Amino acid sequence: MRDFSTRPQGPERPRLHKALVAVAAIALAWSAYSAFAARQEVSQRRATVDHARRDLQASQARLKALESRSKDLALAQQSLLTLDAPPPRVLATLAELMPADVRLSSVSLRYGARLDVQMQVIARSAKAYDTFLERLQSSPAFESVLPGDENRDGEVRATVRAGYRGSVS
Amino acid sequence: MALGQSSVRIAFDATAVSGARPTRGLRARRLASFARAPLADGALVPSPHESNVLRAEEVRDALALVARSLDAAREPIAFLLPDGVARLALLDAPDGVRPDEYARYRLAPGLPYPIREAVVQTESAGPRRVLAALARRSVIAEYEEVARAAGLVQGGIDLAPLVALHALRRAAARGVARVDVVLGDAAYSLALHDGAGLRVLRNRRRDRDAGEPRRLALEIERVLRIGGMDGRPAARVVGPGATALLGELAAAGGAAEPGWSMDGKGLPADAVEVPWLGSLFA
Repeated sequence: MRDFSTRPQGPERPRLHKALVAVAAIALAWSAYSAFAARQEVSQRRATVDHARRDLQASQARLKALESRSKDLALAQQSLLTLDAPPPRVLATLAELMPADVRLSSVSLRYGARLDVQMQVIARSAKAYDTFLERLQSSPAFESVLPGDENRDGEVRATVRAGYRGSVS
Repeated sequence: MALGQSSVRIAFDATAVSGARPTRGLRARRLASFARAPLADGALVPSPHESNVLRAEEVRDALALVARSLDAAREPIAFLLPDGVARLALLDAPDGVRPDEYARYRLAPGLPYPIREAVVQTESAGPRRVLAALARRSVIAEYEEVARAAGLVQGGIDLAPLVALHALRRAAARGVARVDVVLGDAAYSLALHDGAGLRVLRNRRRDRDAGEPRRLALEIERVLRIGGMDGRPAARVVGPGATALLGELAAAGGAAEPGWSMDGKGLPADAVEVPWLGSLFA
């Protein structure tokens, strides 16, 4: 339930509180019984756990070997992406799309399966910001453009995320 | 119902304080009474950071008048704060984090005050998506203070744009893409749903002149492009200026309809011009 009150509101509800206490007491009794039953199971499970632990150790050894190969593949993919879309090229592509009244206060690039670009945009007017968004959206170099938080006290300060598809020039 | 057991709702906005009382009929809820007290220009100015209640006595008197008209002076009232008071943001929430903590982490850098001075509320907006709303504690406290000064009992506080979006969502067919536009006096909210959840949310200040309906229609087009929606889902509009925007959208050949319509006792204007009215029945 949403409530933006700065302090708790509403009258006391003693009946509701009593009902909650009763439910809590029942839950406590049930927990105690469950704990007793669980202790009896512990000894039986302990043997099963020892067996599972041995299996787990063997599996971890196999997983470690597989992870080593997987990391090598991811690193290779990231290296290729870094070569194909170095930061200066991405920034140059962005600069071509920016109206005169728009600047970037920060840009972060995350090289993964694709290149995710997150930028803090400062625009002198809402119109300039909208123009930048339109250019970004229609640019073949970017995809999945997602405007984020906006702060509109005077100039527009906003977060925009997009995926970089690559330079088209 | 987002506001617990408080059935009477009173909403603040820049041009008026208005409120309504629903009543339960045989089949469904219906509007029992509606009241509106206009405010002079500048008495209340919705803003996320600055003081909102600039002439407290005027706002208090309008509030008391509305409460008396609704016969709600002695019962808990759910107060609705106007669009423009809170920052609304749609966030991609990673797995394994608490939505409210993540919202604080994401929204804090853009605030001109410490995050501890903010009240943050979140709700699920679809797969791995969170709708976050953040309002400055001191701004909310101004509304609480004026309600106290009017001698009213606070049953809860919510945001008019959020209760309106919630009501529009409840009234919509499941799995159907749509655009919901909630207009306030000072700001508006625009939500694009793709059937699975909220895909795009814009929350912007209004600039009310003759060209505004055209600009709002363009904003809807822009949101559809940003959302990458195929086809043109219907737009539903509520709030002051909704009639003009619906006319603009119809003239442009777009599919648009009022978010709600109803007849009721004391309703002075078209129901679609009251942005939160549908929340009484959601």
